[in-house]
Amino acid sequence: MYPRPFHYHRASSLREAVTMLSQLGEDARFLAGGQSLIPLMKLRFSNPSHLVDLSFVPGAAYIKQERSALHFGALTRHSEIENSATAAMLPVLHDCAAGIADVQVRNRGTIGGSLAEADPSGDWATVLLTQETELRCLGPSGERTVPLRGFITDAYTTVLGHDELIQEVIVRIPPPGSGGAYLAFKRSAPVYPTASVAVQLTMDGGVCKDAVITLGCVGLTVVRSEGSEAALRGHEIDDKAIAAAMEAARAAADPQADMRGSVEYKRVLVAALLKRAIEIAMRRARGEQVEVSHIYA
Amino acid sequence: MSGSDKTWVGQSLSRKEEDRLLRGRGKFVDDIKLREMLYLRFVRSPYAHAKIVSIDTSAAEKIPGVICTLRGSEIASQTQPFIEIAPDPGGRIRDYPLAVSKVRYQGEPVVAVVAESPAIADDGAEAVLIEYEALDPVVDAEQALTDASILHEEAGTNKVWNGVFEYGDVEQAFRDAASIVEIDRMHFHRFSSTPLENNVVIGQWDPKDDHIHYWCNNSFPSFAIQFLAAHLQVHIDRIRVQTFDIGGSFGIKITSYPQMAVCALASKKAGGRPIKWVETRSEHMISSAHGNERTFRDTRVALDNQGVITAITSRHIDDCGAYPRYEPLGCVIWSQVFPGVYRFKNARIDFTQAVTNKCPVGPNRGYSRMQHLWFLERVVDICAHELGIPADEMRLRNYIRPEEFPYTTPNGCIYDSGNYPKMLEMAKQLIDWDGWKKKQADARKRGRMIGIGIGTTLDSGTNNFGQSQIVNPGAPFSGNSQGANCKLDIYGEVVVAVGSCPQGQGHETTAAQVVADVLNINPDLITVRTGFDTERNVHTGFSGTYASQFAVSGLSAVHGAAQKLKAEMKRLAAFVLACKEEDLEFGSGAQGPEVRSKSNGRSINYWGLANIVNVNSAVLSPELHDVTLNCRYVWRAPFKVPDTKKKYGNLTMTYASQLHIAVVEIDGETCIPKILDYVAVDDCGTVINPRIVEGQVYGATAHGIGAALLENCVYDEVGNMLTSTFSDYLPITPVNMPSVKYGHIATPSPHSYSGAKGMGEGGAAPIHTISAALQDALFDKRIFIQDSFNNPDSLFRALRGETCRAKDLVKVERRA
Ligand SMILES: Cc1cc2nc3c(=O)[nH]c(=O)nc-3n(C[C@H](O)[C@H](O)[C@H](O)COP(=O)(O)OP(=O)(O)OC[C@H]3O[C@@H](n4cnc5c(N)ncnc54)[C@H](O)[C@@H]3O)c2cc1C
Repeated sequence: MYPRPFHYHRASSLREAVTMLSQLGEDARFLAGGQSLIPLMKLRFSNPSHLVDLSFVPGAAYIKQERSALHFGALTRHSEIENSATAAMLPVLHDCAAGIADVQVRNRGTIGGSLAEADPSGDWATVLLTQETELRCLGPSGERTVPLRGFITDAYTTVLGHDELIQEVIVRIPPPGSGGAYLAFKRSAPVYPTASVAVQLTMDGGVCKDAVITLGCVGLTVVRSEGSEAALRGHEIDDKAIAAAMEAARAAADPQADMRGSVEYKRVLVAALLKRAIEIAMRRARGEQVEVSHIYA
Repeated sequence: MSGSDKTWVGQSLSRKEEDRLLRGRGKFVDDIKLREMLYLRFVRSPYAHAKIVSIDTSAAEKIPGVICTLRGSEIASQTQPFIEIAPDPGGRIRDYPLAVSKVRYQGEPVVAVVAESPAIADDGAEAVLIEYEALDPVVDAEQALTDASILHEEAGTNKVWNGVFEYGDVEQAFRDAASIVEIDRMHFHRFSSTPLENNVVIGQWDPKDDHIHYWCNNSFPSFAIQFLAAHLQVHIDRIRVQTFDIGGSFGIKITSYPQMAVCALASKKAGGRPIKWVETRSEHMISSAHGNERTFRDTRVALDNQGVITAITSRHIDDCGAYPRYEPLGCVIWSQVFPGVYRFKNARIDFTQAVTNKCPVGPNRGYSRMQHLWFLERVVDICAHELGIPADEMRLRNYIRPEEFPYTTPNGCIYDSGNYPKMLEMAKQLIDWDGWKKKQADARKRGRMIGIGIGTTLDSGTNNFGQSQIVNPGAPFSGNSQGANCKLDIYGEVVVAVGSCPQGQGHETTAAQVVADVLNINPDLITVRTGFDTERNVHTGFSGTYASQFAVSGLSAVHGAAQKLKAEMKRLAAFVLACKEEDLEFGSGAQGPEVRSKSNGRSINYWGLANIVNVNSAVLSPELHDVTLNCRYVWRAPFKVPDTKKKYGNLTMTYASQLHIAVVEIDGETCIPKILDYVAVDDCGTVINPRIVEGQVYGATAHGIGAALLENCVYDEVGNMLTSTFSDYLPITPVNMPSVKYGHIATPSPHSYSGAKGMGEGGAAPIHTISAALQDALFDKRIFIQDSFNNPDSLFRALRGETCRAKDLVKVERRA
């Protein structure tokens, strides 16, 4: 299908984009990679009258390290993160970027667009919520920095104003002894995960000093499994602790039944993914290089 | 290569068409832009079953750029309903290309909107208002047969067709049985093929000469024009159909004639401007065609004390969706492989087909036979397990033996050749069967679920259309034929035209190989015209590309035409070179391809021969005036009309076979099935181009694995299709594919001139094989694989004991 007629505007700076959106009003939308917005427009589920394209703004896509944080321009494509040596400092970012859909989608889709879209099945929010992540946002009244926790308030809903955009994503580099992992089950490449799990473990020898655990695709927003975190924090990570963390994840998940699986199945699946993600995160916390790929079947 | 004995047939030549297709220079229908062309969009029913109360197109027609709209009642007033192949009651169904007074599946087209651009057509479609009154939907075939809610009032029942196929002495076999196995219910799921290119039609009904011209990607155009001419009430010669490169069909594009009809009628209404319709992916998923879904009920199997199956009885219920279209041919086509690869002689299958409020079915790759072959493979594995016989041993005891070919099946089909035990042996060796058996036993001790499954399948090719008379004794079809033309053009170019419309099968290459051998020239010198064009006048009433037959019907026609041409060239050359025909030899010389006289050393090249016939004919002697060097040949399959009462006769010419083995592990925590190892062994007789055959095997294997684990057309209880996009319907991608080991044997067919067999469909071996492997992994948990589709969620539910419990579904009676 073809979208309804709309006007296309190309912004030359992010500030100009914000101004344009303010002036064009409620019927205008930012366009980044178009990998969520354009399909919706083609199905005529979303029918904006104006699109303000951010893709041609110079300097809006970058990956750089500044002191103890990685900075991503909002327009950075998934594939740029997948292939970036700088981003590889946090293997969990590579786990995520490399596993989003297929090459075409990764070449177009952006990290900023993905967070702004707040799709309940999106990968980025699940991963970045296990990290200390802040978003630098730009609106008509200027800049503000908001933590990612609390940024997404509901499915497809964020705290952003209508004419406010994400300018930069800042991810603090975890301390030594900390390791993360992100694992999803996807039935095939171009499909969102059935369920996914992100884990960040900070270890002190065999003991877990801190754990952050999020579950993706099993709720309207990313589910933080605090019960799973508590099961690990302060403990030796043994089979018993892992079993308790899995049990907590099963309980925390609040999935919907759909073509990807039934409610009960997704609960069991998310717990099983958690077990594997914990194992990978532990190895990474020990400094091991571990390559992971999502499970496709 | 003059004088060489090397033949081109049998070589792994790269495909001639590859260069064009891989460089993005293929020509597909949507590449065609015509002057004054308009665009069509369908307004489709959101309901599975509803009465149309009112249609208001006035707002749409006011949109600038919308030219006109078209609705079902307008079509019904100026056309005949499409031909129904079924006798009564199915024959009473009235099928029009747009819904007339009610809709019968979600996605059924109700109104067509024609506009200056595709986007305006979409705007127009959005502005059409249709009021519906919902009716009770029927989404299950067995429920449909209760006739509680009827789809087609004219038919008075949802039953399209019923027939009993009985052979041998079933009762006696059951009386003599050492054991009897009963299986309550099995189900073959609904899935489709997802060609990269959707359906595309450009149709023009030109008022100047009252001719209809189609540029389209229909894959069986001679069938389509027969349906269209009768429907549109025009002389069939006034319909021109052209096809171009086609991005896949798998049979699904055979039934695009309703949309073709709408494009012609819309063109007529729009004053004769050409109309283009490009199907979207979602439209393709909800309303092009799905494969046949089938339920197997009350199966009883009689076995002797060696585990040899002696008889099978069963009731099969086929679901053809809302309109039969190509059906009920599927009600007989399965019987081409009635006993599968097995020797049992006694059987009774009660076969019924029903309409339901779902997308109409079309002849999807493996059409109607794969359902039945899957059923038989399940029966064999279940019986083997219940009797404690290993799956490979069970097959060896029941396979038709190599020395029994040609083998006449209980229903009169003649299996040309084959060697199933040898394929099994090769497959076992390639996969290291014994090694896996050990690993499986070890893994089982540690609680892991690994299964090893065998799937043996047949790909019957080159139909006897006389089988249509088994479903409808009044059907005016029998036999099979294909046409080809081979000529020397004015400057001596060899040009071959075939009535096929390939979709990746490499016809340009294999046809050139065949002609190259006849004329003893290099295939690069031969131009092959594929793609259908009624005005090329090579087609017969069966022309198209479907049903695994080109290697036999298409290439036999090409071979015949080439020989006819060669005979004419010989007569002409003997005259020109003043020698006897026996003295002539064909080959290539300094001036290109030529004919030489061995007796006097003189020669004439192709240009010389063509020149005389075409533009220098005064030198010809009158007895050569019938030589045209432009030879049409029609090849006819040597079939007889089957005995329609006994449902007996030879229904197909060749039987390619495939044997696959898979090792699958079901993860205990995630229930995700993972293919650990896979082997595919095929036998399609004499191979014309091994590389093409191997490519087809990989393609069919991917397709089948996708069908077994990923691809499922799901409807909810009110008939909403839940899998209309690639987010929910999952065609297999490379990340899902295991690496496949490939093996090959060749048992040449005595039925085809070259020994080749059709093999394009592949018989859906992976579906049987994956089911078998999953079953093998789960037998000891008393879980019974009941469905041809299995995914992590369904395995999860089975493992929790919610479904597929063997104790509810399988019964064994041991007498001896
Ligand atoms: C076939 C397919 C499969 C996919 N599979 C996955 C998957 O498995 N996992 C996954 O995570 N994603 C998946 N995606 C989505 C993909 O990651 C998108 O790239 C992402 O969701 C949106 O990013 P975008 O840049 O394309 O945004 P757009 O589509 O351009 O925009 C999305 C929304 O965000 C707004 N927006 C964009 N940029 C900004 C900004 N800087 N500030 C504020 N608002 C902004 C837009 O106005 C719009 O409302 C898939 C997409 C497709 C087409």
